[in-house]
Amino acid sequence: MSESVTAVEEESSENVLGRVFNAEANRYQMGFLAVAFLGLITVPMWNPGWTYVFAFANIWVIFAVSWDIISGHTNYISFGHSFLSGLAAYTTALLTFNVDPNMSIYITFPVSVAVAVVAGLAFALPSLRLSGPYFSLLTFVSVLIATKAVYIFSGYTNGEMGISTVSVLTFDNTEMFYLTLVPALLIAAILLYISRSNVGLVLKAIGQNERAVESAGLDTTRFKLWGFIYSAIPMGVGGALLAHFFGNVEPIAFLIVDRSIEMIAIAAVGGMGTILGPVGGAYLLIFLRDELFRAFLGPNARWVALWSVVLILLVTSPDGLFTRFWRLLDRLGGGGSE
Amino acid sequence: MVDVLTILVTGAMISSVYALIAIGFSLIYGVRGVINLSHGALIMIGAFGYLIINGVAPEWVAFIGAIAVAGLASLVLYLGLVRYTEHDVVITFLATVVVALIVQQLLTLQFSLAPRSLSPLVPGGIPVAGTRVRVYQIVAFVLSWVALGLLYLFVRRTKLGRSILATSMSEKGAKLNGVNVLYVNAATWLVAGAFAGFAGVFLGSLQSTSPTMWVNALGLAFIIVTIGGVGSIKGTIIAAYLIGFLETLTVSFVGAEWRGMFALLLLIGIIIARPQGLFGREFIE
Amino acid sequence: MVDNNRSGASSSDSSGRTGRVPRRRFLKATGAAAIATSVAGCTSSLGGGGGGGTIKLGHMAPVQLDMGKGSMRSARMMVDALNEEGGIMDREVELVEGDTQLSASQANQLVQQWVNQEGVSMISGTFASETMLGIEERVGNLNVPFIDTGAASPRITQDHVGEDYETYKNVFRCNPVNADFQADLLADYAAFLSDTHGWNSFAVVVEDAAWTQPFTDRTPGRMEDEHGLTVEMNRRISPDTTDFTPILDSVEETGAKAMLKAISHISGTGMLASWGDNEYPFAQEGVNVASMSPQYWSDTNGGCLYETTAESGAGGTAPVTEKTVPFTEDYIERFDSRPTLPMYMGFGTMDAGFIFKNAAEAAGTVDFENNIDDIVAEMEATDYTGTAGQVQFYGRDHDYPHDVKFGDDLVPFPVTQWQEEAENDMIEGDGAKVCVWPESFATGDHVPPQWMG
Repeated sequence: MSESVTAVEEESSENVLGRVFNAEANRYQMGFLAVAFLGLITVPMWNPGWTYVFAFANIWVIFAVSWDIISGHTNYISFGHSFLSGLAAYTTALLTFNVDPNMSIYITFPVSVAVAVVAGLAFALPSLRLSGPYFSLLTFVSVLIATKAVYIFSGYTNGEMGISTVSVLTFDNTEMFYLTLVPALLIAAILLYISRSNVGLVLKAIGQNERAVESAGLDTTRFKLWGFIYSAIPMGVGGALLAHFFGNVEPIAFLIVDRSIEMIAIAAVGGMGTILGPVGGAYLLIFLRDELFRAFLGPNARWVALWSVVLILLVTSPDGLFTRFWRLLDRLGGGGSE
Repeated sequence: MVDVLTILVTGAMISSVYALIAIGFSLIYGVRGVINLSHGALIMIGAFGYLIINGVAPEWVAFIGAIAVAGLASLVLYLGLVRYTEHDVVITFLATVVVALIVQQLLTLQFSLAPRSLSPLVPGGIPVAGTRVRVYQIVAFVLSWVALGLLYLFVRRTKLGRSILATSMSEKGAKLNGVNVLYVNAATWLVAGAFAGFAGVFLGSLQSTSPTMWVNALGLAFIIVTIGGVGSIKGTIIAAYLIGFLETLTVSFVGAEWRGMFALLLLIGIIIARPQGLFGREFIE
Repeated sequence: MVDNNRSGASSSDSSGRTGRVPRRRFLKATGAAAIATSVAGCTSSLGGGGGGGTIKLGHMAPVQLDMGKGSMRSARMMVDALNEEGGIMDREVELVEGDTQLSASQANQLVQQWVNQEGVSMISGTFASETMLGIEERVGNLNVPFIDTGAASPRITQDHVGEDYETYKNVFRCNPVNADFQADLLADYAAFLSDTHGWNSFAVVVEDAAWTQPFTDRTPGRMEDEHGLTVEMNRRISPDTTDFTPILDSVEETGAKAMLKAISHISGTGMLASWGDNEYPFAQEGVNVASMSPQYWSDTNGGCLYETTAESGAGGTAPVTEKTVPFTEDYIERFDSRPTLPMYMGFGTMDAGFIFKNAAEAAGTVDFENNIDDIVAEMEATDYTGTAGQVQFYGRDHDYPHDVKFGDDLVPFPVTQWQEEAENDMIEGDGAKVCVWPESFATGDHVPPQWMG
């Protein structure tokens, strides 16, 4: 088994990305990470006006890295990750709306996450057998079905307009920022560790050439399923967290396909398969959309600006902004000649 | 209670429009292997094109204009963007959906989200078989079959059409036979766009026109083509009618809210049990 | 993922003269913009507007829809009008605009940012009841004075201010009359139709949403018990219905002479196109929010002819108060793109600013963090001649506390009809709106569809 893993490791070392993150980070890269980290945890101090946006972005960091650990690594592009987070959010909402408005968060939260994971697995089991576009199509359809179900069972879900009985964690921006920052950083750290571990290497190798991995004797289905679980759990956490962030749950903010597409765009812009890339991507795009573009262009035109930026980045920088930046720092530090 | 005849009539009317919606998507997907998520947006461009032109010209001029505008937009989309990304499925997915979102936002800025109805080519209605049918729906039905017939002739009998078929089977083989692949691809996109525009005009007046209409249209196209089978025009048409009648039956016997659900469930079944669809080839990576 | 851009010279000198220039510039530009914004952000005032500077009033509405846009423009007019009269307590008034996008989550974001960062003194708006209900807990907890100018659900007052006065006392509704009253009024309107045309059988068809529940629960009962009419059908339809032929067929089958509908999310364009083209033998009555837009005639290509809708302010066609028509005319003069009328919400928005001004000045403060009770007491005492009507609020002990009082000489709920032409035609282009009810200020007669014979 270890021979196969070594073989896989070697193979994925050919991959530039693998080399970048297996090598020691040079002092520029460490410096950048340190500054970014410090800047992040002190946002409420140096610009309180941005606290809310960054708190919101914290939750999107969770979504982005969760998407990345499976789709960014294995290249099985899921168009339906909002299905997972949406399901968790709706579980919380349905419990408070239909069962008991005062149900403790210590019950609703774990139940919501569990539901997301179970439902996600129910989808993953048959669909991970499928190749490329069919997998993506199935995930896309799962979101459509979930959205439709919300409308059909509107007696329980309140349809399009959503449920508002979810308790809000806090009405204070700074508290909210830290309440969301801690899970975000924790989840990112865990997934980064997984990404760099053997499991992560295998997932990346699957993304490069699945057949080669199979012929090396590894059960790719098992690895894919684990990858999916590592993705579904934080998606559930993020979904429930978001529900308590707003205090309400509705299709437009949680479930519809647009939200899935944003997750993909964030990861792609940041750098698929790198975990850290999507972290940066989340902060960047949410900041652009909800702060910068909104201030200069108003709440409507900002979408045009956002998607135009995303489009340009996708075409000119398919490996991701962060990845490029990381390589730039790499070269500054004199390392990694091609 | 509902009549069999009513169901036949209603189902046929809906299905003919669905066939138009799906056919352009099918051409690109089947021939080029590209999943164009802007397809819904092209349909929307057709509808809004009709709206704008109808503001200064009579309906039939707007009709032709809408088809031309959508075809052109499709061509520009290919030559300006997809041509450079089509080697990478993921980036094409993302790029085309982002384009659709941009188009939606631009249309919203210009026209607001308020839905509109397009002025029909032929007004009036007829009571038929326990329901009422707008004359325009009958026009849509007839024209849709005419268009499909023309497409068939084009693909089978013209040189360009046969080149498109050949390229869809094997791009290398086609090149070896002297086919100018870029020209053929561009032509495919143009034709697909024209059909999208055609669909948009009818969809826009029989339902309504708004900057968010592309999502449902895209979903429908995707579902129909996948069920019918990638690469098969015949499959697309049959699937369109299958879905159209399925929806009509659902509305009559189960309830209007359930309308799209069974189509989605059918889709899942097909993807899992027979991914190449009812009539399609295997998806060649 | 193959990296295509590895070719070419790899030396990167600090001036960035490689193929990477565009990326560097982009990052630099983002950095510069970020710094600029943070400087701007640092200078925005915090706190509840307790200091001596400008007073900020927030207004939130779904600006991408005609309804929200009309209301936002009315808010701008309101702020200008306030400043013309010296502002509030001699301080200048500034408007903070927000797009709810019909989403409670978005609206929650706005409330949070406005109270915590912008330091607004009052918030007005929301159109959809679900949006309002979705933010009400936050609004109640933050204590900011909130005047609902568009959402009609009775739960906003009855279930919140009524059940927990202490938390929700800062919430008021000045427009429209709540849906329970609207439901009763619609039944009375049906009686008017019966008196005018002899129609006695009706179908009630509403979209499945929070605000329409009273129409399902109260209107048919009142029509039958109070007015002796027959309600053949009482149905709720899904808001994402796209094919209306089945429902229209059903109504025709019952023989009803008029379809009383309540739709907001459903735009009605598709339904009216089918109704008119097929000449279904019944009238279209009720509440159709999209129909309140002056552009609805062109949106439906004239398909809305003969349709009626109830709307606050009667679309500006009738002199509900002496301020109604002048306000409408000012709006038309100032804005010549759609919507060319303030829509029902705009009338309420216009009034909300002055209601607040009067209350704040009487209380002598806008500092709601410390003096909310004084402000609330003055708001409860409101007796203001607005554009939508004479505004007064029900008191703390009423069934609907802080709700606007309704009545023909308080704030009424008029009905307008689309006709080919009218005397004081406020509609740009083809089509005209006529106020057909209540008779005390109607500007024309109600006309049945020409094909009904």
